[in-house]
Amino acid sequence: MLPETTKEVSLILKYCYDNNVKVVPRGAGTGLSGSALPLEDSVLVVLGKFNKILEIDFENRCVVTQPGVTNLSITGAVQHEGFYYAPDPSSQMACSIGGNISTNAGGVHSLKYGVTTNNVLGVEMVLIDGTIIRLGGKNLDAEGYDLLGVVTGSEGLLGVITEITVKILKKPQSVRAVLIGFDTNDDAGNCVADIISAGIIPAGMEIMDKPLIIATDNFAKAGYPRDVEILLIVELDGTESEVNTLIEKVLEIAKKNKASYNRASESDEERLRFWKGRKAAFTALGAISPDYICMDGSIPRKKLGTVLNEITRLSKKYELAVANCFHAGDGNLHPLIMFDSNNKKELKKAESFGADILKYCVKVGGVLTGEHGVGIEKRELMCEMFNNDDIQQQLSLKKAFDEKSLLNPGKVFPILHRCAEEGRVHVHKGKTRFPDLPSF
Amino acid sequence: MTDIYRPNNQEEISQFIYDCYESNRPIEIITFNSKPIGRSIQCSQTLDLSKNSGIVEYQPDELYIKVKAGTPLIDILEVLKSKNQMLGFEPVDLGYLYNGKPNYGSVGGVVSCNLSGPRRFKSGSLRDHLLGFTAVNGKGECIKSGGTVVKNVTGYDLSKLLAGSYGTLSVLTEVTLKVVPKPEFSETFVMYGLTPKEALEVFSKVMKTSLEISGACHYPKNNIDFLRLNDLDNSRTITALRIEGPKNSVQERIESLNKMFKEVKEKTILEIYQSDLFWKISANLECFNNSQKIVAKISLPPTETTGFISQFCEDEIMGINNKYFVEWAGGLIFLEIGNEDPSYLILEKMKKFCKEKSAHITIMKADNTFRTSGFFLSSSDENIKILASKVKLSFDPKSILNPGKIYAGI
Repeated sequence: MLPETTKEVSLILKYCYDNNVKVVPRGAGTGLSGSALPLEDSVLVVLGKFNKILEIDFENRCVVTQPGVTNLSITGAVQHEGFYYAPDPSSQMACSIGGNISTNAGGVHSLKYGVTTNNVLGVEMVLIDGTIIRLGGKNLDAEGYDLLGVVTGSEGLLGVITEITVKILKKPQSVRAVLIGFDTNDDAGNCVADIISAGIIPAGMEIMDKPLIIATDNFAKAGYPRDVEILLIVELDGTESEVNTLIEKVLEIAKKNKASYNRASESDEERLRFWKGRKAAFTALGAISPDYICMDGSIPRKKLGTVLNEITRLSKKYELAVANCFHAGDGNLHPLIMFDSNNKKELKKAESFGADILKYCVKVGGVLTGEHGVGIEKRELMCEMFNNDDIQQQLSLKKAFDEKSLLNPGKVFPILHRCAEEGRVHVHKGKTRFPDLPSF
Repeated sequence: MTDIYRPNNQEEISQFIYDCYESNRPIEIITFNSKPIGRSIQCSQTLDLSKNSGIVEYQPDELYIKVKAGTPLIDILEVLKSKNQMLGFEPVDLGYLYNGKPNYGSVGGVVSCNLSGPRRFKSGSLRDHLLGFTAVNGKGECIKSGGTVVKNVTGYDLSKLLAGSYGTLSVLTEVTLKVVPKPEFSETFVMYGLTPKEALEVFSKVMKTSLEISGACHYPKNNIDFLRLNDLDNSRTITALRIEGPKNSVQERIESLNKMFKEVKEKTILEIYQSDLFWKISANLECFNNSQKIVAKISLPPTETTGFISQFCEDEIMGINNKYFVEWAGGLIFLEIGNEDPSYLILEKMKKFCKEKSAHITIMKADNTFRTSGFFLSSSDENIKILASKVKLSFDPKSILNPGKIYAGI
């Protein structure tokens, strides 16, 4: 279905609700975990026709938009006045703002400016029974329960979003990026931790390993050094003198951590070239491997070196090559596992490799997904992080919004949960009635 | 007669709530009883969380602190200060408002009220700084969500729901908060004698620049006596803008403000010590020190603020002269009104205004009569109330946790 108005979305959902038809909402379809994957017995509600920016309100520093508008076009609509929309996922040219809400999308600048949830002021959304509600608006903070906060990142399981109000920010006076090269993972990891410890919050802090440095430099001609094992991109913003002081401090910290290369951007053109390589990471890798899967764990920053070393070990174990890029500042890693889908065994191996990486992320104190969402890809891994009570609580909340479980079923939660659905199996102090039965 | 139970840990809290769930006994949740906020409630049981206290883990280089929910907030602030860090949402001490003396209360209480200070419009609200939690729901089950990392979309973001839920969904037992480095330097640029309309224009102008203002408030003439700082003249209206960051950058930006507002004759600059004090006094609502009236917080789009002020705060012709001030660069008004009949009528009119202008009211302080019979939040949308009620029941199916604290009957 391709509705054009909120009323039409409401009518579709009401019909589906009355007739017990499952519904999968979908934006631009750029998601990486399968949250918007159609089901064979569902109606697919595609928001592609909701493609207009409705209002630009500089006085209240916000933009009201339809959900099908791409992330980048919001910045496009306000940049003539020096404003921008902060979250910038790599797919920002194609991904829709509605989809960004459903996965709480981040990007390379979220360390300083936050992810989607920190930049959304309000939504209009349609509940599964067709009820239209508005959460938030042009003012700050929720009234009563922060339903907007829980809808953001809910992967289309709680309602269909038909209008969005986002906060816009004024562009900083001065922005510069610096490239820093290292010979070992540990040196790079320590440098990241030391920058943060020094009280510096860069606008962005990214890491790429050698395979990606070469691939992205070939693809985007970014001007990266090719003789370093690992490359750190640090972006700093503020007034001109502030940025210059911070760059000096960062370079000093880099030197202490045995950096073998550094270069600070001298023009905005050069800075954008540095980013062009990083933002093309996924595309560039396509040129060197027939297939790859992209993982998305979050870990404590100081575990960066440890996790990279574990990924190298797993790469040898599974005999599959891997390339790594990280949002190092906020500990969000994207290992890209390369394989050949013509070889059926390799796909299975790649998936197991990915799952092992995510399990390791949880083991060191991290989480399964930083910004891509659980979707179908990671739903069976939810039990690595959550116990039965945690998941039952989330399922109860789902029922508060969608009692018949018609919206995007089979996503996010392990599908074997049915045995304990409704929370009727009360587990108190870890004592279950049938401890030998598998439950999630 | 209310029974007060003081558990030592999460296990005991869980057992207690489980027992209350089984026997249908409603529970009022307190820690230090520092914030009589929300509707008045009557419960047979009181759960006092003050013993579930202590810092679990503080990782300055990972920018988070994990604490038990009953920990006094002041202890946390002291620990962070020792590492030159702070809570980015700038916590609010409501002790002045309620009792005329400082009392931040517990971290769990502050989280449950989602209280954010003057930096809110730049750095986000408390809920943006809550990375994860463990809690006990209304069935006595221990639940958790989030973690210690800033980027996390693993399952629903329940942290957002629990922040600002006033203890009606679950009892928080442990919270993980993001911490940020303390700015190296700060100064405040003060302009005197501006009307509210002019102040709002100033806010609008500076928010369209790259000066990264981190505090912007306006105090009218009838509400400045309490502001006693050496370099501050408290005989005329005060419009203040805060700048924070590295020293050279702060001074550059203050100079830019000077140029931008060169036509304003009466102005001053508060250096770091007085600047910090000014914003602390403002954050803590010290102008309403031990107020015996109704104090309301109105969150509204900045463009509606002037209209609200002329209708409900001050208007010479209409004879309106209520004590108020404007925060969050025009996005927030704190207002004190009498607790007699005409004031109730004003509140009803304010509700109507808010419904039309995408705004909302929170009653921060009121006497017991109003807290029993009046409203706490101005919500008018029935569909949202129905959904809120379902959400409440999804955590607390028998409605035993702080029942009726936010809405009557929920």
